[in-house]
Amino acid sequence: MRPTIPAIEECKGSINGPFSRRVLLGTGVVGAAAGVPLVGRLLRLGDALGAPSKAQDDKILQLVLQLEYTQVAFYEQALKHAGLKGDLRDFARAALAHERQHLAAVKGALGAKAGAKPTFDFGQRTKSAGAFTRSAIELEDIAVAGYNGQAANLTKATLVAAAEIVSVEARHAAWIRAIAGEVAAPDPVDKPLTAKQVSAGLQAFGVST
Amino acid sequence: MDGVRNVDELLAAVDRDGAVAEARAQAETTSRRGLLGMTLAGAGALVLTRADGAAAAGISATDVNILNYALTLEYLQASFYTEAERSGALAGKTAQAARVVGATERAHVAAFLDLLGSKAVKRPTFDFHGTTEQQSAFLKTAVALEDLAVAAYKGQAPKLQSNAVLAAAVGIHSVEARHAAWMRALFGVTPAVNAFDQPASRASVGRIVASTQFVVDKPRLRAREKPKFTG
Repeated sequence: MRPTIPAIEECKGSINGPFSRRVLLGTGVVGAAAGVPLVGRLLRLGDALGAPSKAQDDKILQLVLQLEYTQVAFYEQALKHAGLKGDLRDFARAALAHERQHLAAVKGALGAKAGAKPTFDFGQRTKSAGAFTRSAIELEDIAVAGYNGQAANLTKATLVAAAEIVSVEARHAAWIRAIAGEVAAPDPVDKPLTAKQVSAGLQAFGVST
Repeated sequence: MDGVRNVDELLAAVDRDGAVAEARAQAETTSRRGLLGMTLAGAGALVLTRADGAAAAGISATDVNILNYALTLEYLQASFYTEAERSGALAGKTAQAARVVGATERAHVAAFLDLLGSKAVKRPTFDFHGTTEQQSAFLKTAVALEDLAVAAYKGQAPKLQSNAVLAAAVGIHSVEARHAAWMRALFGVTPAVNAFDQPASRASVGRIVASTQFVVDKPRLRAREKPKFTG
C-alpha cells in the first residue's frame, strides 16, 4: 500500500492554454491606495488589531464578504461575456461554484449584520479570455493575501472556518496560473495584505460599496 | 515577539539563498514566453528569523512541538522533490514544477531549522519506493503529499500560540495549497475539488504518512542510488 490518495477524480483536461503575462498583485493596490475606501469602516483596522473577539471577527468578515461577493460577480460576468472555452470555462465554473458556497457561509456567519452587496464595474476584465485570466489571478491572489492577513486577528473558531476557505482560493490562483502556463506557485511564502490594502485592491478591481 | 520579530522578517528568511527565486526564474524562462515584471522572491518576500537556538528559546513548547511536526512534513516533501529531480525521470512542465516546488520545500525546511535552532528534530530517513523514478507515480504521490500538507497545516494553525508563528504558518499553508493545485493540474485531476478544504489531525496525518512507508529506520541499500539529500 503506497501513497494514499483520498480523491483522485476524473481527468479535467490539460494545462495547456494561452500564455499571459503575470499580473503583479501589488499593481492595483498601489494605484488605488490614495482613493476612497471600499469598506470604510475597516480601513483603520490595519493588520495588528486588538485581541480576537466576536465583534472583531464580524468586522473582518464584512471585508471577507466583499471579497466573496466580488469573486461571485466576477466569475458570473466572465462566464457570460468573456467567451471562455475549454479549460478556462471549466475553471470559471468550478471557481464560481466554490465562491458561491463561500459567500453563503460568510453571509450565514454574519446573519442580519451582513453588509450590502457592492456594485461592480469590471470593465474589460470580464470581456475577453485574456483579460479574464489576468484578472482572475489578481483577484484570487488578493483573496489569499486578504484571508492570510487576518489570521492572527480572528478568534480560533473563525480562523478554523477561514482556513478552510483560504486554501481553496490558493488552489484557484494556482489553477488559473497553470492554465495560463505560468509558474503556479511563484513565492515560497504568501505575503499577507492588510484590510486597507485588500479594500484598495478591490476598488481598483472595479468594486464600489 | 517570541523570537520572531515580524512577518516580513519571517518572510525574508525563507528564501535567503535565493534558490526558490532562481528555480522560478529558470522555469519562467523555459516557458514559451518569459514572464516580465517578475520580482525576485527576496524582494517582497520571506520568513523565519535567524537566531539559531536563541529563537527557539522564545517560542512556547506547544509551538516548538507543532513546528517540529511541520518540519518533519517539510523534510518529507523536500526529500521527495530533491530525489525526483535527481532521478532525471521528470520531463517538461512537470520537471519545471518539481524544481520550483522542490526549491520552495527546501526553503521551508531551512526556515524551520533556523527558527527552531537546537530544538529542531532530525531529518528522518526516507525511501520513496520508486515513486521518484517515474513521472506519473511522481505526480500521483506529489498530489497526495501536497494535499496532506495543506490539511496538516490547517489542522495545526488554530493551535499555534505565537501570532508571528501563525502568520508564517498561514503563509506557508496557502503555498502548499498552490502546490497541491499545480501538481493536480499536471496530473490531470481537478485542482480544487471542494469549496472547503478540510483539516487533518496529527493522528490521521501520521496514519497516512505511515501507510506510504516512506519513512524508514534505515536507508534501503540500492546500487543505483545514494540516500543523500540536501533538501
